[in-house]
Amino acid sequence: MTGVQKRGSGRPWLAISLLGIIDLLILYGVTLMYAQGEIAFALIMLILAVSASWVFISHKAYCYRYVFPGLLGVAVFIVFPLLYTVNIAFTNFSSTNLLSQGRVKNILLAQRHTTGDSIYKFQMFEAIDKGGKTDKKYYLQLTAPDDQVYKTASFRQPTAPKVVKARLASADISTETGVSPLPLRDVIKNRDHLYNLTVKIPDGSQLVMTGIRRFEASSPLYVASDKDDTLVNTLTGETIYPDWETGRYTHDGSDQIGPGFVTYTGWQNFDDILNNPGIKGPFLKIFLWTVIFAGLSVLFTLIVGLLMACLIQWEPLKGNGIYRILLILPYAVPAFISILIFRGLFNQNFGEINVFLDILFGIKPEWFSNATLAKTMVLMVNTWLGYPYIMILSIGLLKAIPDTLYEASAIDGAGPWQNLTQITIPLILKPLMPLLIASFAFNFNNLVLIALLTDGGPDLLGATTPAGATDILVSYTFRLAFGSYGQDYGLASAIATIIFLIVGVIAWLNLQATKKYQSV
Amino acid sequence: MAMVQPRNLKYRVWCARVGLWAFLAVTLFPFFMIISISFRAGNFATGSLIPENPSLEHWSLALGIPWVNADGSITEPFFPVLTWLWNSIKVAFFSSALILILSTSSAYAFARLRFRFREHMLTAMMILQMFPAVLALVAIHALFEKIGHYLPWLGLNSLSAVTISYIGGLALHIWLIKGYFETIDNSLEEAAAIDGATPWQAFRLVLLPLSVPILAVVFILAFITAIGEYPVASVLLHSMDKLTLAVGSRQYLNPQNYLWGDFAAAAILSGLPITIIFVLCQRWIVGGLTAGGVKG
Amino acid sequence: MAEVKLSGISKSYDGGKTWVIKDVNLSINDGEFVAFVGPSGCGKSTLLRMICGLEDITSGELSIKGERVNDLSPHERHVGMVFQSYALYPHMTVEKNMAFGLKLAKADESVIDQRVNDAARMLQLETFLPRKPKALSGGQRQRVAIGRSIVQQPSVFLFDEPLSNLDVSLRVQMRQELAGLHRRLKTTSIYVTHDQVEAMTLADRIVVLSPLGPKDSTNLEQVGPPLELYNRPANMFVAGFIGSPQMNFLDGHLESSGTERAVITLKTGDTVEVNCDAHSAKAGDKVFVGIRPEHISAQFSSMDNNESGKNRILTKIVAEELLGSESFIYCHHEAALGAIIIRVMEITSKPHDQSLSVSLPPKCCHLFNEEGTAFPRAGLPEVF
Ligand SMILES: Nc1ncnc2c1ncn2[C@@H]1O[C@H](COP(=O)(O)OP(=O)(O)O)[C@@H](O)[C@H]1O
Ligand SMILES: [Mg+2]
Repeated sequence: MTGVQKRGSGRPWLAISLLGIIDLLILYGVTLMYAQGEIAFALIMLILAVSASWVFISHKAYCYRYVFPGLLGVAVFIVFPLLYTVNIAFTNFSSTNLLSQGRVKNILLAQRHTTGDSIYKFQMFEAIDKGGKTDKKYYLQLTAPDDQVYKTASFRQPTAPKVVKARLASADISTETGVSPLPLRDVIKNRDHLYNLTVKIPDGSQLVMTGIRRFEASSPLYVASDKDDTLVNTLTGETIYPDWETGRYTHDGSDQIGPGFVTYTGWQNFDDILNNPGIKGPFLKIFLWTVIFAGLSVLFTLIVGLLMACLIQWEPLKGNGIYRILLILPYAVPAFISILIFRGLFNQNFGEINVFLDILFGIKPEWFSNATLAKTMVLMVNTWLGYPYIMILSIGLLKAIPDTLYEASAIDGAGPWQNLTQITIPLILKPLMPLLIASFAFNFNNLVLIALLTDGGPDLLGATTPAGATDILVSYTFRLAFGSYGQDYGLASAIATIIFLIVGVIAWLNLQATKKYQSV
Repeated sequence: MAMVQPRNLKYRVWCARVGLWAFLAVTLFPFFMIISISFRAGNFATGSLIPENPSLEHWSLALGIPWVNADGSITEPFFPVLTWLWNSIKVAFFSSALILILSTSSAYAFARLRFRFREHMLTAMMILQMFPAVLALVAIHALFEKIGHYLPWLGLNSLSAVTISYIGGLALHIWLIKGYFETIDNSLEEAAAIDGATPWQAFRLVLLPLSVPILAVVFILAFITAIGEYPVASVLLHSMDKLTLAVGSRQYLNPQNYLWGDFAAAAILSGLPITIIFVLCQRWIVGGLTAGGVKG
Repeated sequence: MAEVKLSGISKSYDGGKTWVIKDVNLSINDGEFVAFVGPSGCGKSTLLRMICGLEDITSGELSIKGERVNDLSPHERHVGMVFQSYALYPHMTVEKNMAFGLKLAKADESVIDQRVNDAARMLQLETFLPRKPKALSGGQRQRVAIGRSIVQQPSVFLFDEPLSNLDVSLRVQMRQELAGLHRRLKTTSIYVTHDQVEAMTLADRIVVLSPLGPKDSTNLEQVGPPLELYNRPANMFVAGFIGSPQMNFLDGHLESSGTERAVITLKTGDTVEVNCDAHSAKAGDKVFVGIRPEHISAQFSSMDNNESGKNRILTKIVAEELLGSESFIYCHHEAALGAIIIRVMEITSKPHDQSLSVSLPPKCCHLFNEEGTAFPRAGLPEVF
């Protein structure tokens, strides 16, 4: 084929100019990122842009044009997140340590304190331009303790911190112009915007709003010291510094000032998983349950799926077209819907399953609050969801078994049971092996089932993190990272990293199993 | 598989048939139940399989029409189900289209062209496909948060972010399409090249028309996967009108606000089209699954 | 009108580590029908595909009509190719299949129509034009594939084993149609086959290729008209490949040699005289005597005549094949490489393990040196 590849596109100029425009746009983005301090992202973007341009211009890279977009997708949405997750696993990234140290420093520097001795009363006016229109612009009149009157420049309702200048006014505005100030209720309505405002008066002091009627002179709480990143408290004179071990600003190591920041904490998260009893206990339990859950799910779906496949492949059983469709139905309905249906059906009080059980046996099992029952339910639902897949695959494999084998075994006097155990299962299991491993891997990470059915519950006792009896590793990390208890991204990523290793081993096993199957 | 013994065959067939129907009754019980529930008045009603006094209350609410109760009070629809369904369809359609385009072009190269690292890339794809996005949700969340700083329409809480993020799932599809391309005689494209076709023309006029079946399978598989995707969407989306169906449906069964009947109607409304598509295309899909499974 | 010239053409798939084709020099005249023959895997298709432009030429020069075409695309070389698998576009009708190339070249509708109809008439395909390839028989598909090339009016036709997917009787018929087509169109044609009968019957000249051994400098064994290859094979490879069943070889050494005849002593001690010019070799050199099955004569009338004399060797029958019109007898002889095959026209069955005395006429014997290169045959009319 190589000879055919020589001819390039018929319109090279169109392609190149298009590429040029895209490159310019990307370059603009890169500069923007670089300017905002996202150096890593800017670098990655730059590398991508350069490699993309090379691939689409160079003749040598002709073949890569076809795979580049796909590889890019895989790189950005699989490889990068994996690496980034491993990276986060070594940090304290969480809802308490959310920002970068630079951002925290800026937040601290923006903090102001009021001195309390100079209170300025204020009134709010609507700015009216020459045409007599209002246009939602406002200005303030501030009256100093010494009865000096200041008038600010007009401003729109600020949604972010904003500084406006004020100048000395000759007299009270309402007496001078006859315009009356806005009533207090409008001031209250605009309160949140006004809190964003810093008014600078000619003598240099900066005023911030401290009450519904007053502004006060304020000064920065912290000033940057000459030493890197250390700040000095202007009130107490204390020097505070970023503690890179714990990810917070402190002055003596014991206190925390301002929000925490993200920092590398080494093996801390992994250490917690292995040694912190509040985390280790639930982690081990969850790990064990994950393996049991995935293993039993594969086993049960295999048994049911294989049985059904054998049944509907059995010739005397007429009408297998309709059986087949009916049996596939659980797989055809989107899983999230079926899982939620089961969640409702298993409901302790209103669920139809308990209604039936109550009528028949007079029992109302607590499917969601008893750990054993919850686990049983999860397995039942997962078998229901998963058997059609195994069945579909088995039907294909069963068709490939030559009839002569069964005829030969019949001559040897074998019954259906011997046929199944001596011929069907051994012949079908080998090609099915890689698929079963893949199915195990799928269930190992079956977040949707757990998140939608039980959400991990019932809760495990003695855990310092949100952990439940039916939680599997992924749902546990999901709750750690995005649950309502406060997000610990670092710990979640550490567990995710452990899952990567496990999945890696499974993937390797799968590759071996596939090779083995293909070589036979 | 042909069983050979004719002895007591009739008796056995009957046993099998009864067993099968019993199994089907248990298996399909949830579906009958949910249909029944969607016609019961109220959200806590229990009753027989065929509702005694059927009501269209839940269906009306699911379709976004306020329901006038018997006492004259009006129940507004709680959740914008149709918006969610529409969101899901948009996300699924565009992500499947993207996946289809990208995986077809990659598969073409892997099947037909020879280049360095080809084998390595294929093995890497095979392994990477085992790592689902759910393992890296934190990173995906952070990634889109960053992107959102520069391109708000592609940031958190945007459907385009969800659409784009599903591209990661294309490795499996590359294997599927590649397998199919390899069954098509290479000399067809060579003949086209001799006829004066550029590689692109050979691809578009010869290979693509012959691959329509597998492309349809891949599109449908990707579509169904995207519709049912929960973890990524739940992390990236949060405002009520942006949710996809998979994320939104969950809200119905909140212990604080248990809307079992409304859920039933919404579930049928949204689940039925997908189920019908699946059943109609099941022969193809099953073929694709088997091939993909055995190969991938 | 086109002549094709290959000079020093070589091909390696793995960047020079192993070679599939090495140093092929050949020039094909305008309007000539040339067949490439050789055992499977010797690189015939590869060579053809290099001429076509489907494979890169690793080294060497290829020119068509005197123009160097190494770097041109297949289309720019103005070649037409018929594939073994036909390679018809399954989703297009016969008509669209044939018109595809012209449509790509944006030819006029009227031109397309006319050329397609002409080709269809020539190949008796008119009634099949609206059909899809799936609805055609093997022979019809083959004709469509040829028609698709014809409408492009290429300067060279290339065929890669076009008949090998057909059954025997159809193959004979298509062979004659191809010959007729070439007589009419007089387009330069290159035809790859592993079937020597096809090559012998169709080709003006035959090119014999051999699998490239690690030490060989080329895999082009011999080029020549069919009968020349039959009568004057340049070496043991060609001698063995052309002719069916294949030539018998006997192991021996040179007793004496001249320009007209040479005497050889076989391994078993039998002496054989051959009419070959072996004066370049000296007595005692290892040689091989070759003789075709159809040239050996066996004395059945004197079955128990056990004498072995000049050009007469005693063999033992091991097997026989009775084909009706002729029979092949497989005999064992110590000096032979493999069994000696003899073609006889009698039908009577011969007992196994029976001794059989056969004679090797000196005029019909070939002589090869230790490397397998043939000594010139003497006393053959020049026409051969
Ligand atoms: N793409 C390829 N890569 C490596 N070797 C190849 C390739 N194509 C063909 N070959 C090798 O080149 C040799 C010649 O092949 P081919 O030309 O098809 O033989 P023929 O047509 O004479 O039967 C074979 O040994 C084959 O293994
Ligand atoms: Mg060949």
